[in-house]
Amino acid sequence: MNANRHWRIKNLFRHESILLIVLVGEWIFFDVVGRNFGTYDNSCDIFRHSCEIGLLALAMTPVILTGGIDLSVGSLLGLCAILFGKFWRDAHLPIPLAALCTLAVGALAGGLNAALITRLRLPPLIVTLGTFSLFRGLAEAITRGVDTFTNFPSSFLFLGQERWLGAPAQAPIFISTGIFFWLLVHRTTFGRTFRAVGFSPEGARFAGIAVERRMALTYVLAGVVSAIAAIIYTARLGQAKADAGNGYELFAITAVVLGGTSIFGGTGSIHGTLLGVAAIAVLQSGIVHAMQPSEMAGMLTGALLIIALAGSVLPKMISSLRARRSANKLATPIA
Amino acid sequence: MKKYFRELSVATALGILLIALAVLAPSFYSPQPLLSLAARASVSLVVACGMALVIIARQIDISVGSMFAVCSVCAGLLAAMHWPLAAVIVASILIGAVFGAFNGALVAGLGLPSIVVTLATMVTWQEGLRWLRQGEFVNLPEGLQWFGLSQRQGQWTMVCGAILLLVLLASAMRHLSAGRYVYAVGSDAEVARLSGIPPKRITFLIFVFMGALVGLAAIMNIAQSPQVDPQSGNGMELKVIAAVVVGGVAISGGRGNLWGVFAGLLLLACISPALTHFHIEAYWEKAIQGVIILLAVVAEGLRKRKDLGHG
Repeated sequence: MNANRHWRIKNLFRHESILLIVLVGEWIFFDVVGRNFGTYDNSCDIFRHSCEIGLLALAMTPVILTGGIDLSVGSLLGLCAILFGKFWRDAHLPIPLAALCTLAVGALAGGLNAALITRLRLPPLIVTLGTFSLFRGLAEAITRGVDTFTNFPSSFLFLGQERWLGAPAQAPIFISTGIFFWLLVHRTTFGRTFRAVGFSPEGARFAGIAVERRMALTYVLAGVVSAIAAIIYTARLGQAKADAGNGYELFAITAVVLGGTSIFGGTGSIHGTLLGVAAIAVLQSGIVHAMQPSEMAGMLTGALLIIALAGSVLPKMISSLRARRSANKLATPIA
Repeated sequence: MKKYFRELSVATALGILLIALAVLAPSFYSPQPLLSLAARASVSLVVACGMALVIIARQIDISVGSMFAVCSVCAGLLAAMHWPLAAVIVASILIGAVFGAFNGALVAGLGLPSIVVTLATMVTWQEGLRWLRQGEFVNLPEGLQWFGLSQRQGQWTMVCGAILLLVLLASAMRHLSAGRYVYAVGSDAEVARLSGIPPKRITFLIFVFMGALVGLAAIMNIAQSPQVDPQSGNGMELKVIAAVVVGGVAISGGRGNLWGVFAGLLLLACISPALTHFHIEAYWEKAIQGVIILLAVVAEGLRKRKDLGHG
């Protein structure tokens, strides 16, 4: 038992440390190859552009840890962005109140996912595929596909475009969200049960864990975080359109899986996810700075994901092959 | 009756929609627009047939949209190089099969989860295509559109071809041992293996077949317009998965049939024209699609719950 645990910790550590080495390697490579890559300004830029996907990936981690998936976060980001615009421009709410209403919408939408998945025991993949279509469709229907919200006050745009105490203004929000999720998943008994639920829902139920409630919470949190990301997205671009956050769900899932979280649930970590987000963000910015076409970054992200997956499986396959061979050797004299 | 509850309920919903259209908006039934709609739907039908097999075998393939775009552009380029039509069709199917084999090798060979593998290949092919072609359209030579036939004949060829494929596949899934193997692998791969079915080989072949069907669908799509749009496959994966799920195929594998998928696909394909005929703004299409998907799974969930309660 003890040896097994020791092995597992070592293995987890290995995945994340390899990712860290890849990240540092990327950084050094692009710093040498690219122009103005390693500057502080550019680091702020990288952070700003990956902030929303980073937030979604953070919220996606507990969802995947419990063995679920949420395809609707990108669409929900779009819906929240335009509802935020609607609250502010058409309902004449002050910005903070509009933001609060948007967060409530996010929680409500996450609650819809949670209710369908845990109350009716429906597969998360299909439920969130449905809400993926529903949320984006509502955003398109509300704006009729053309309405765009712009002319936000500069005090609001500060959040997405300016610096506060030398750091990008959205940094405090991102860092506190990151700390919240890290503490939740790694430092509370409550959050540690996410992994138990993902590893074996039935076992977790027998151990007295309220499995449905844990799962529901992860989807509600994902909804709230999508709303936060929507507000930051609007502040960064200065506009809210129905296509906001299109395809972000896939980037977020890629970052989580790249960070070492098993897509089947049960194992994974928040710091792994953060490293995954950083690896993708640095790659995207570095490719541009190295004067390469930006599409290459997407290709390399896909390739990196396949390599990371294959890398996680190959050692196990080789050892099982070896075990089979030695078992055959043992079996031959008897046969 | 109870066994085919899902298929029958989708068919009923489709029937109600068609009757409502006949009563409220008979203009929906004018032949030429209807034929065009059917020709467009037959492209999705071909992909949906493949996706149904993949999902019945308890896998998923979200790279179909990217494969579709790559096959379309490759076929367009070959046609522009004046390859004969038959060679272009074969080449497109082969290219699709090769991409499918790549997915299949990773999923069946290395035992990786199909959702992540196809997520990765989706991003890779899509960005690779954008990189190489920079989103450029391909102009097709004269003879390719409608396979060199008149528009009417071309559309009929596509619709009949897609339906023939559906009938053949549906009966193969029911009566051939290969079809039953797919259900067996999807229900329980380990039990299938113990009873002498090679689950890995079956899974691999299903992905190859899926790719080949995507190649075929790509040809059917580019034959409908004078140019190849490299973005034509965008969002196709979710549309097709939605049709398969609405059609009663269980995402947990081992259950469903192609007739249900056919009904589900027609239901989703009719929404957009139905909206215009009912004078509802077209922007509601996606939201209504989402509601239909959710209703389909909720119906399934409620029924399962009731069954459990009685049992």
